Amino acid sequence: MDLNSIYFIAKKEIMDNVRNLWIIVITIIFAILTIAMSALGSIFSDEWQGLGMTVALMMGIVQLLVPIIALMLGYAAIVREIENGSMSTLISLPVKRMEIILGKFLGLSGVLSFTILVGFGLAGIVIGIMVPDVNYVEYLVFIGATILIGIVYLTVALFFSTLFKKRSTALGGAIFLWFFFNMILPIILRGIAFAGAAFQDIMSGNAPGWYYSIQLINPMTVYSMLVTLSIGSYGSAMSAAPQLQYPEFYTSGLMILILFIWIIGFLSLSYWRFYKKDI
Amino acid sequence: MVSKTVMCPNCKNQITIEVTPGNKTIITCPSCGAKGQFTFPMGNTVVRTTGGSETIQVKNLTKKYNDLKAVNDVSFNIREGEIFGFLGPNGAGKTTTIKAILGLIHTDTGQIKINGIDIKKDEKQAKKHVGYLPEKIAFYDNLTALQNMYFYAEMKNVPKTECKPLIIEMGLEDVVNKKVGKFSKGMQQRLGMAQALLGNPPILILDEPSGGLDPRGVALIRNKIREMKNKGSTVFVSSHILSEVQEVCDRVGIISKGILVAKDTVGNLRDRLNLKPKLVMELEKVTDDIINSVKKLDGVEKVDVLGVMIHVTCNPRAKSKIILAVEEAGGNILNIQTMEPSLEEVFMKFTEG
Repeated sequence: MDLNSIYFIAKKEIMDNVRNLWIIVITIIFAILTIAMSALGSIFSDEWQGLGMTVALMMGIVQLLVPIIALMLGYAAIVREIENGSMSTLISLPVKRMEIILGKFLGLSGVLSFTILVGFGLAGIVIGIMVPDVNYVEYLVFIGATILIGIVYLTVALFFSTLFKKRSTALGGAIFLWFFFNMILPIILRGIAFAGAAFQDIMSGNAPGWYYSIQLINPMTVYSMLVTLSIGSYGSAMSAAPQLQYPEFYTSGLMILILFIWIIGFLSLSYWRFYKKDI
Repeated sequence: MVSKTVMCPNCKNQITIEVTPGNKTIITCPSCGAKGQFTFPMGNTVVRTTGGSETIQVKNLTKKYNDLKAVNDVSFNIREGEIFGFLGPNGAGKTTTIKAILGLIHTDTGQIKINGIDIKKDEKQAKKHVGYLPEKIAFYDNLTALQNMYFYAEMKNVPKTECKPLIIEMGLEDVVNKKVGKFSKGMQQRLGMAQALLGNPPILILDEPSGGLDPRGVALIRNKIREMKNKGSTVFVSSHILSEVQEVCDRVGIISKGILVAKDTVGNLRDRLNLKPKLVMELEKVTDDIINSVKKLDGVEKVDVLGVMIHVTCNPRAKSKIILAVEEAGGNILNIQTMEPSLEEVFMKFTEG
């Protein structure tokens, strides 16, 4: 494996994408919304510990927009180049397909991280001005977790971009993915949960272990858990619901591990599909 | 076989050819690309290309798409320093073969070596010395021509200083810093050629290089092919337009429906098919006498009459006798012309049926 090739492909991927109008537009939307939410949230809080509302509002934005940004960046990464023909030239160069996948993955992750950093950075400035005693370490953890969930969606999208022969089909696939993770999967998991465990048990924190395990199938839940476990519960500020009790195996370490498994799993699948492909 | 040194009348370059006394051969001058005919007295002539080691070796290559064999048991070797024309109608398997050589597709059977390196075993090393112009060329639309070239230079480990001169050489000086997304097909093709030429690769693989180009672009690419050959590169060029390949190629391979039906020099293919040149004469008046006296001559194969034109398919050495015979029979020749059999005819013969 040649690190230079990977670096050059990553660099090219970043250059190509920062000139992409849609990515610029969605970055601006993301930044405006995070600024608005942080401003709104911090009006109601006079110290960092009371920032639950801010974090909750910003997480709402993250859950909606980060998957969209990641899917937009990744859904056509491979199929676009195969369809228009530039992949033929790329593979004819002294490079391995593994290096192409890794270069694309790193480049797109870079663009995604940049987008998230811009949004969160601007929001951070707003919070810094409006709230006196901000715990910036916790804020950085929040940013890190968000980048991690973004990369999870990115690798899923990257895999989808190796599945289809046409970019238009891949776009359909990406839209389906968004619906799947945001609507279908939560409904399925909730259905299973409510079918198997009593509502009172869940609300009082007495639900059986498998209920908590099954929740972790949805990466977005894992992300929320990671944020909650790392910087304290934000949900309590949002609703009157009692503070939920989580089982002991719910740790930040486990959440990070699960997100990494998603990333490595789908990155491997992407490579496998791409390796098999006739260009 | 006899060795013979001949001089190119165009650039005075001397080349040594090996000839079998006999018939005429077409020689391509390696330094200026001019073509000439040479006949060693008393018999046949064969030009041996300057071949040494094999640069591209394809052995028993088969590629199936679903149940259709796009390429069926194709084998050929390309010698160092030659221009090899890969011919066939659209869909015959040219691009599939090229893609297999470069490892773009997975093959069903067969072995491919570039400079002796198996593409499946060490693809990176094998591809290091190849410049490739794909049939369907595309770049990164959001980047400029120069930025695109920089990327390829980085990947090929070639100094970036080569990029700009190459873009300019290909006639794109006005758009060096323009985004490729706005380029026409022809401009992209030119940039593609510049990309293939990066680092002076010893092997150049060009898939339909004149696609989408205007006549000036076609001429530019043809000159580049000759220039690369003169620098010692091996050139593998595919085309379905035969006339352009005929002019530059030392040898050709003809593929039809996935099967390699012929591979040889253009001259030898002609000989094998027994395609003879035609002598075309315009006469004041055509009489039966004239036709009969021509038909009687040795080396005359066929005489066709079209109004006042007679087309005589014949052995090249019979030409002067024919002209004499026509005049002796009372014919008055107004115009005279020789028509060499084109590769088109060769090609049609091989791909029909």
